[in-house]
Amino acid sequence: MSLKMPYIRILVVGALICLLPLVLDTFYMHIAVLVLIWAFLACAWNIIGGYAGQHSLGNGLYMGIGAYTVAYLVNRFALTPWVGLLVAIALSAAAAAFIGWIVFRYALKGAYFALVTIALTEAAVYVVSNIPALGGAGGMQMEYRGNSLAYMQFAGQSGYFYMGVLMVVFILLLTQWYKSKRFFYQLIAVRENEDAAEALGVDTVKAKIKANVMSGVLCAVGGVFYAQYFLYVGPRSVFGEVVSVQILIYAIVGGLGTTWGPVVGAVLLVPLSEIARGQLGNSLPGSQLLLSGVVMVLTMLFMPFGIIGAVARLRQRWQHRSATPLVDSQGGEAS
Amino acid sequence: MLEVRGLTRRFGGLVAVNDLSFEVNEGEMIGLIGPNGSGKTTTFSMLSGALRPSAGTIAFNGERIDGLKANKVCRKGLARTFQVVQPFPDITATENVMIGAFVNVGAGRQAEAKAREMLERVGLTPKADTLAKELTLLQLKRLEIAKALATEPKLLLLDEVAAGLTSTEVDVMLQLVRQLNTEGITCIIVEHVMRFVMNLSHRCIVIDFGSQIAEGTPEEILNNPAVHAAYLGEEASIA
Amino acid sequence: MNFNFSGAVLSQAIASGIMLGGLFALISIGLTLIWGVMKIINFAQGEFLMVGLYLAYFLVAWGHIDPYITILVTVPFMFFFGIGIFRATISPILKDPVMNQIMLTLGVSLILQNLALMLFSANVQSVHTRYATWNIHIGPVVISAPQLIALFGSVICTLAVWYFLKTTDSGRAIRASAQNPTAATLMGIDVPRTYLLAFGLGSATLGLAGSLMIPFYYTQPTVGVFLGLIMFIVVVLGGMGNLVGCFVGGLVIGLAETVGAAVFPGSLARVFTFSIFIIFLLFRPQGVLSKRQT
Repeated sequence: MSLKMPYIRILVVGALICLLPLVLDTFYMHIAVLVLIWAFLACAWNIIGGYAGQHSLGNGLYMGIGAYTVAYLVNRFALTPWVGLLVAIALSAAAAAFIGWIVFRYALKGAYFALVTIALTEAAVYVVSNIPALGGAGGMQMEYRGNSLAYMQFAGQSGYFYMGVLMVVFILLLTQWYKSKRFFYQLIAVRENEDAAEALGVDTVKAKIKANVMSGVLCAVGGVFYAQYFLYVGPRSVFGEVVSVQILIYAIVGGLGTTWGPVVGAVLLVPLSEIARGQLGNSLPGSQLLLSGVVMVLTMLFMPFGIIGAVARLRQRWQHRSATPLVDSQGGEAS
Repeated sequence: MLEVRGLTRRFGGLVAVNDLSFEVNEGEMIGLIGPNGSGKTTTFSMLSGALRPSAGTIAFNGERIDGLKANKVCRKGLARTFQVVQPFPDITATENVMIGAFVNVGAGRQAEAKAREMLERVGLTPKADTLAKELTLLQLKRLEIAKALATEPKLLLLDEVAAGLTSTEVDVMLQLVRQLNTEGITCIIVEHVMRFVMNLSHRCIVIDFGSQIAEGTPEEILNNPAVHAAYLGEEASIA
Repeated sequence: MNFNFSGAVLSQAIASGIMLGGLFALISIGLTLIWGVMKIINFAQGEFLMVGLYLAYFLVAWGHIDPYITILVTVPFMFFFGIGIFRATISPILKDPVMNQIMLTLGVSLILQNLALMLFSANVQSVHTRYATWNIHIGPVVISAPQLIALFGSVICTLAVWYFLKTTDSGRAIRASAQNPTAATLMGIDVPRTYLLAFGLGSATLGLAGSLMIPFYYTQPTVGVFLGLIMFIVVVLGGMGNLVGCFVGGLVIGLAETVGAAVFPGSLARVFTFSIFIIFLLFRPQGVLSKRQT
């Protein structure tokens, strides 16, 4: 297989997806945009959670920083969201770097790391809820200023849809490109065995901080897009534990630390939960989160490596059975 | 090349390594031996930066390295293997070695070429694309060496690379390490398998209860009464 | 920020903080056992409490049973509830990476929370019992009797679990299994059964908490989100598995909440609580009581 193949695959799938608006009605276009938003966020989380193996339960913090920054700047100063995007990137990078520096310098891992990230994202909810300029507990509505790329606002859903496709294609290409780079190898080394990584010259603290910044900035970009699509931001809709968990569910179900896993997870789960919400939302509130919970439990019990991982394992087993071994089982020992 | 002065490490009230001083010259093969719990691995951990010394200095090529973090020490050319093998289990042998290769190489493809070269050197080429968690102990011990070699060390700390191997396997490992030394890599070997150390070392340092009790050629060590006393009652007989 | 409060406000805040602290300690005993001692991660622990609270609520509001009598139902129910959840979900992946346990139990918490939402709606539910108006006046300070009872319950429960772990065979089996499962198995301890017992007990304490809380607290599907986080905070502050530490940790957080609420506007006191937690994790991960290990 050519080295370019994975990139071509991303571009081809992206191009094919662009045909969807021709066949989808408004309800399904809305779901498609949501799929793209969550796929993007899950891909962003996958960098710190999947590749670096640091399971942040608080990436809503960065998504919220992005969403609130753009909403505030657009509302207060009537700036274009593109400027807001730049400010959001700068703020989230600073926050992710600072938090990463503190948390990883003190070597917090596993459950402790997860708890600190929850505490931070929950603290953000309470902070934002108490700032009147940010709309307090009620959040902020954003004004619709017309169908224009300059305002990052579109009349129908297809504008958001194409932007979402661009974003997801971008993050997939980025991930694929980084996969052959030193940085991602170092992240994987950190995930697999930190002591061994240090002994092989990997500055594990620095690698984790870099991953946190990259993941945080991309989550903020996702948050900007989220705010522009809904034209509303609220403390619990973009910060907080529930959103943070939602971000990572898709990555976990799809396959941690794989390029396509988060996308596969979002493609399968977002429509399911949106349809559940649409069909049962009034009679049975919470049905879509209940579904997420069930899927999470089943994934952990029966395919902890997610859908991509399960498929890869099946394929491997099948190949092992069909291929004649080129070397005997003692291969490594004969010298 | 390496100059250790007054190296000490305390854990609470326990002194694991006590005022240890020694030197290693370029091209040498040093055996660091002693009974179980005498402080060999603690010494290695301090030399490689995994553990901060309580007191004392370590100079490598005239430069102080004590207190540096492990990754910095590694990048200065001092690599180690682990007594308990430490692979990256869910990636292939090649990818394991690539992590080390990235110390000196920026591009992925170069790192891979280098990793494959290192695997060739330790005789693991047939297992290059096998996940590390599927390797046998001997293969993992070789992988440890390949990973360390990929960082292009000038000084290599080998922590019990022969322990747990069968007699034939020890011979294979012995050849491999000797080969490395002829290629110009200075080595310090911590080992319980006496045949292995005695065959390889130019010079041995014996420690007991964290302190140095003897130093000399393997023959001198074998005939040293203090060493015999230290090993008395130890299962691993020195002869 | 408001620093101009009177001595009376402050003494009331401290008294309320101690009461709240007792409550936080009470709900955290179970997690001290499950996570602190047994190292089982359960992110659904807050939702277990929610279940306990709803059970107590229905027994009192619909069954017209005295809240303190409901203990006879809530404790055994939560014991078997915990065992059931453990058997079905956690025990099969006990040897998997920590993160899988976190994700799985997060999934369980989502299920419980949203089942409650479907069945009982998002409305805040509380009961009105004659205990609600029983207040004790000490100078300018008012203490509600049900809260005082919960504080006593917390002390007694702490002592009971401590006594159980220290002196009974099952308690010793729990500690042995947690420290070294292999050695415990060799000593003839049925380790899987011990885990089940510990988890069941950890869950049962939340039945007790539900019954003791319902006269003065409320329930709602999301009640466990905040209280669950509080449990983790208290267990960390207490030094992971230290029961006395858990009690002290509860008091620290209770005081932080009430004194914080007197000082900070709105719900910003929560931020104060979370800050204490993060600072502790970073600088004193061994908890409030234990000495630093070297």
